[in-house]
Amino acid sequence: MKTGDRIILILILVSLLLGIAINRYAGKTNEKYVEILVDGKLYEKIPLYPELRKTPFMVKSSEGYLYVEISEGKVRVIDSTCTDKLCVKEGWISHIGESIVCLPNRISITIVGGDTYVDSVSY
Amino acid sequence: MRKNFIILLIIIAGIFLAIVYYYGNLYLTSEFYSMNTIIDAKIWGFNRYSTLIEIEKEINKLNMLFDDFNPQSDISKINSNAGVKSVSVSDETIDILLKSKEMYRKTKGTFNIAIAPVLKLWGFKDGHYRVPGEEEIKSVLSLVNLDDLIISKNTVFLKKKGERIDLGGIAKGYALDRVKGICEKNKVKKAIINMGGNVFVYSRNPDEVFRVGIRHPRSSSIIAVIKVKSGTFISTSGDYERYFEYNGKRYCHIIDPSTGYPADKLLSATCITDTGYVGDALSTALFVLGKEEALDLTQSLKYATVVVTPNLNVFYTDNLRGVITIENR
Repeated sequence: MKTGDRIILILILVSLLLGIAINRYAGKTNEKYVEILVDGKLYEKIPLYPELRKTPFMVKSSEGYLYVEISEGKVRVIDSTCTDKLCVKEGWISHIGESIVCLPNRISITIVGGDTYVDSVSY
Repeated sequence: MRKNFIILLIIIAGIFLAIVYYYGNLYLTSEFYSMNTIIDAKIWGFNRYSTLIEIEKEINKLNMLFDDFNPQSDISKINSNAGVKSVSVSDETIDILLKSKEMYRKTKGTFNIAIAPVLKLWGFKDGHYRVPGEEEIKSVLSLVNLDDLIISKNTVFLKKKGERIDLGGIAKGYALDRVKGICEKNKVKKAIINMGGNVFVYSRNPDEVFRVGIRHPRSSSIIAVIKVKSGTFISTSGDYERYFEYNGKRYCHIIDPSTGYPADKLLSATCITDTGYVGDALSTALFVLGKEEALDLTQSLKYATVVVTPNLNVFYTDNLRGVITIENR
């Protein structure tokens, strides 16, 4: 085996291991995101950091709409066109895995992150 | 020359393995609506798309049969023909009704699909909530009798007019059993299906550990985390899912069949089982039973449970020691 061959072989092995490692640990950061799904499809994904303040904005689905407020790393629904208003009563959410679901409007707001705290939540 | 050839082979094999590894680890998440709830599916592996489509099809098929809001469904046909005639229904409907009766017996009558007339009285069917009078509840309770549900071969008959059945407390778990079957048949790498709070986890690797959170009943955070293995169902019944408040008192959608009033002994009851329909029905029953009886019943059935009492204390069966962590957030 020539030196050149060895170098190529080692390079390939290293890049292979690196690829696997990156693949495995990619996204495992402490970043949080607010993921808003409407009718089951991704509507918006907003990075959530403590300094972020967003004026209430409207999320609209085929069934109705609601207003979401983001402030100091927390998210809540201020008002909604649904009748039960369970999404409003939910209050603030801020931890990964927490979510607000407005079933009548078919809108869900979930806090997701790279370093997922739990695989799923039973409620 | 030969050495070079071997090196080339190793390189090609390595690249091939890397590609396989990369694509095999991709996963897909999807949210869809069926059975009056939100279904969140996360599937890993090459056949994730075809598996998801199969799961969606199966759940929608069951929804067509079980949904009592759909006048064409088997359940609606049984309800509207109560006291009139028996109706022939699909095999799936017969199967779930027999399983509902089995759970009725196993839970000493605290899980009862015949409770529907009382649910309707409290307004949990149409959203026009109200607190009915005692006499009213008593008269409607006389329509709650699961023995009046006659199943013979593929026909079903409700004896009295006004009697109704509602599969809300078992249909999701039953559907998850079907999901488990699909995952096993397709040998998907890994899957996490959350059906309105009823969770099913699956992995081809039997040693894989899943972390499943249990929702805090009075905030949207997590009150406990349990570590479970592939093939486990986790389902929770709580007083925060559907409820209304009147004069400062909370009335939730889970009715105690013995009184006709909403159950209030617990804030939530979580069941950890190896069968979906058992977990779904059992969590409803445990929520009605209250702490002591819930723990006793689960232990005698060899399942596991976590209950949250009204002062927000968490209790669980002994077999969860070491796999549960209580969060104080």
